[in-house]
Amino acid sequence: MDNQKAAVQKKIAHGLMIAVLIVVFLAFIFPFILVIINVFKTKADITSNPLNLIGAHGFTMKNFPEAMKKMNFVRSFGNSLFITVISTVLTILFASMTAFVIVRNKWKACGALFGLMIASMVIPFQVLMIPLVSFYGGIFGLLNHRATLIFMHIGFSMSMATFMFHGAIHTNVPIALEEAATIDGCSRWQTFWKVVFPLLKPTIATVAIIDAMAFWNDYLLPSLILGKKELYTLPIATQIFYGTFSTDIGLIMAALLLAMLPILILYLFLQRYIVEGVTAGSVK
Amino acid sequence: MKKKIVALALAAAMAASMTACGGSSDGGSSAAPSGDGVSITIFNSKVEVQDAFEEMAEEYSEKTGVGVEVYYSSDTVAAHMATKYSSGDPYTLSMVDPKDIYSLAVEHGIDMSGEKWTENTDYEIEVDGKVLGFPMCVEARGLMYNGSAIEAITGKEFNPDDYSTLDAFKGLLDELKAGGMEAPCGIMKEDWSLGAHFFQEIYEEQPDVEAFITSLYEGKADLANNEKFNSIIDTFDVLKENNYAKSSPIAAEREVSEQKLAEGEIAFMFGGNWDWSMIKDFNYTDGLGMMPLPQNTTDGTDKKLVGGGSKYFFIDNSENTSDEQRQAAKDFLNWLIYDAEGNAFLTEKCAFVPAYDNIDASALDPLSISVKNYADQGAMVPNYNYDPDDHFSIVGASMQKYLADQIDRAGFAGEVEKYWASATPVEH
Amino acid sequence: MNTNSNSYKFKQYTMFAGVATVLFGLVVIVPFIYGLYLTFTSWDGVSKTKPFVGFSNYATAFSDVDYWHALGRTFIYAAIAVILVNIVAFVLAFLVTRGLKGQNFFRAGFFVPNLIGGIVLGYVWKFVFNRAFVALGTAIGSGTLSVSWLSTPTGAMICMIIVSVWQYAGYMMLIYVAGFMSVSEDVIEAAFIDGCTNLQSVIHVSIPLMASSFVQCLFLSITRCFMVYDVNLSLTNGEPFNSSVMAAMHVYNQAFTYKNFGPGQAEAFILFIVCAVIGIAQVYVGKKAEVGA
Repeated sequence: MDNQKAAVQKKIAHGLMIAVLIVVFLAFIFPFILVIINVFKTKADITSNPLNLIGAHGFTMKNFPEAMKKMNFVRSFGNSLFITVISTVLTILFASMTAFVIVRNKWKACGALFGLMIASMVIPFQVLMIPLVSFYGGIFGLLNHRATLIFMHIGFSMSMATFMFHGAIHTNVPIALEEAATIDGCSRWQTFWKVVFPLLKPTIATVAIIDAMAFWNDYLLPSLILGKKELYTLPIATQIFYGTFSTDIGLIMAALLLAMLPILILYLFLQRYIVEGVTAGSVK
Repeated sequence: MKKKIVALALAAAMAASMTACGGSSDGGSSAAPSGDGVSITIFNSKVEVQDAFEEMAEEYSEKTGVGVEVYYSSDTVAAHMATKYSSGDPYTLSMVDPKDIYSLAVEHGIDMSGEKWTENTDYEIEVDGKVLGFPMCVEARGLMYNGSAIEAITGKEFNPDDYSTLDAFKGLLDELKAGGMEAPCGIMKEDWSLGAHFFQEIYEEQPDVEAFITSLYEGKADLANNEKFNSIIDTFDVLKENNYAKSSPIAAEREVSEQKLAEGEIAFMFGGNWDWSMIKDFNYTDGLGMMPLPQNTTDGTDKKLVGGGSKYFFIDNSENTSDEQRQAAKDFLNWLIYDAEGNAFLTEKCAFVPAYDNIDASALDPLSISVKNYADQGAMVPNYNYDPDDHFSIVGASMQKYLADQIDRAGFAGEVEKYWASATPVEH
Repeated sequence: MNTNSNSYKFKQYTMFAGVATVLFGLVVIVPFIYGLYLTFTSWDGVSKTKPFVGFSNYATAFSDVDYWHALGRTFIYAAIAVILVNIVAFVLAFLVTRGLKGQNFFRAGFFVPNLIGGIVLGYVWKFVFNRAFVALGTAIGSGTLSVSWLSTPTGAMICMIIVSVWQYAGYMMLIYVAGFMSVSEDVIEAAFIDGCTNLQSVIHVSIPLMASSFVQCLFLSITRCFMVYDVNLSLTNGEPFNSSVMAAMHVYNQAFTYKNFGPGQAEAFILFIVCAVIGIAQVYVGKKAEVGA
């Protein structure tokens, strides 16, 4: 009897939760649906009635090939992929290692580094923009290399990634496990890779998705570093669609859809790891 | 197992992108022209002609053997130039606004005094006896109109000269309204349009512009009682009264307003011939054109557009650019002005009103044809290019308030006066 | 092996954090110091000389009334946006970790706004506020909806907040989800056995164990809101009448649009100090709470 009542209550609760989720979900993807509707319309139709499913000039696919051509899609895509993958992987490795040493070693330098990193997260990028280019471009002439951009992506994302790993190690990695590993004869290095790193999976997935997205979408920094067309990433390649005095909204939307798919796929893929998380780990 | 798959996928992605990149950079270097090996870079700050420029660059490279790469940035010109100069990676040729010539080219541009084209134009920018700016085109501001829409209601031929006074113009608006066009005007609420284009005419049409600006800096100008201020704002009031977006003028979107004008839903909007780059994307009607802002005045400005040279090239003088590159840049400028293909590029591909008297420009768009007609008749009030850089934003904001009925005319005049009195004079 | 000796700690530090320190130092710290130096010169960003002028750029910055207005406005905006972002994000994270059908689908959906980069996002929302809402308002005869919110200063601020919540909630949700998932199931089960309801287990068990998620989300949302630029630019561009210009936009305009590079750079440093003080205070308080829990 009680069980039945509880089951009914549970069902009602679930129904309510799903209802709330659906409403919020619609609100969240509404602008995105607008993008999808309008990508198949001409500019004139988008301006005159953006809500129409099909514009007065009919259904058109021409935004895609035109956007791809103007962006030099394949080349820009390759550049973006190369830079994003390498920067993300290296950021995760370096940041998790740094966070580990900061959490476990009570040493002044660690505290100082962490403090600096936290503080640096609130530096408006505009502050660093000119000094950065005059330093690396004007003095060292290092611009126009993908490696320079990767180097800077890692440098800039290091603080936040470290910050997130710091939190995760602090709360989710039982020190007892590490001690056990040490007793088993593991060095600190081995302990980190064999015990700590696998436990960080949910955070690794989170950092990976957040950083990959940031690198993939970043416009300002790459535009400063990569001044040659053959090095352009997707966001730099699409800037041609924006202007103070004219904006080609149809092309922008096509470019946007083309550019966001890889990240969406990456997200769907990685979020399984966020779910599996600790429950699948060795904590139990 | 899963880990291995991820690792494999990542490795494959990396390998794929590396080969993709390797391939493309090879392609880039082999595409460099053999010719005499000189390559120049051009910065284009007019997004609407970027396609035309890139196409031209390819053809030009093929023909002359001089490599040309054209770049555009959606950043502000000043910010982009600052990053390029501080990184020691400037363009050979940079297209900038007139005010940037004064702030950039004086230090970074070469003197082009000896060039032949200086004899064919009145629009070059000269500082201390040096020609620093090569004018790309002539642009002018005024009232854009849709003649077909007007004629459809009035039933007679529309001749803009008949409506140069505000009274005549008001009469026409009444006729249009009576004929079913509820609100015949549009107003762009953008601060650059209000502040740098519309309000700017109040300075430019003063009898002595420099003296007037000086009095503004000194805080001595009395705008509220200034004849030109009142005359232009009277006209603005009429536009405001007949604005299709009157209930919410600050929310009017430029694309929408341009479309209404292009398709004849409204008949008038203040703007310039560059607006064609937007209008051409809509189902525009015949009979579009530009006319002077109607005013009840006797000083003749009601018969003139306001404009002049717009968008200037300067050639970099730093050690990052070689003498050969500078020569190639000069050759390129000469090609634009003295080669039939260069001319065609300017007038047909870019739809620029040429700033040079030797160039034939019969194939222009309707707005540019209006501009050319006024320019050819000498009916053009020259631009004033020496506003402080924050002028458009602050005066534009005050004018937005006036547009939205947040302040009255006296308050508006007061805000502008206050701004000028606190601004630092621009040397020129 | 003495794990307390400085040389051991130094070795550990170099082994784990060496590369990161070098990268971070070269990319962030060095340009930062150079940028700080530039605030004491009258360099305009493009000229070849950099004359030293002492504190005059700071004097200009302190007397720039518009800057302080922008900063004050940013405070109000950030305070409201941060609270709403975190409430929405936490609730969403809670709902999508209940084991409901299709929760992965929902998670992906809430995350979509993050995939649309700053500028397009602004365009899309501008259309929603200027056209879609107005059309809706006119249709249902609602006075508040039939005039675009973007045309009044307060309305523009509300729009900025709505878009920020929409933009960041999914992102913060991700961190909260990771937080929920990291709370071991054993602990939750134990709580149920002790007679806790679903809600009680969240309040008494999950939340305290998720302290680090809260610290992270608050810190990230505070700093992002304080440095908001992209959305500001594309959604309102400071309009109407420069009443929605936030601090970062003012700094950018000052330095590049108005070409007052020195004062602009100085104002950026002031903004940095403000953010740093708030951010660090928040992390400090949060860490205290974390230790307490």
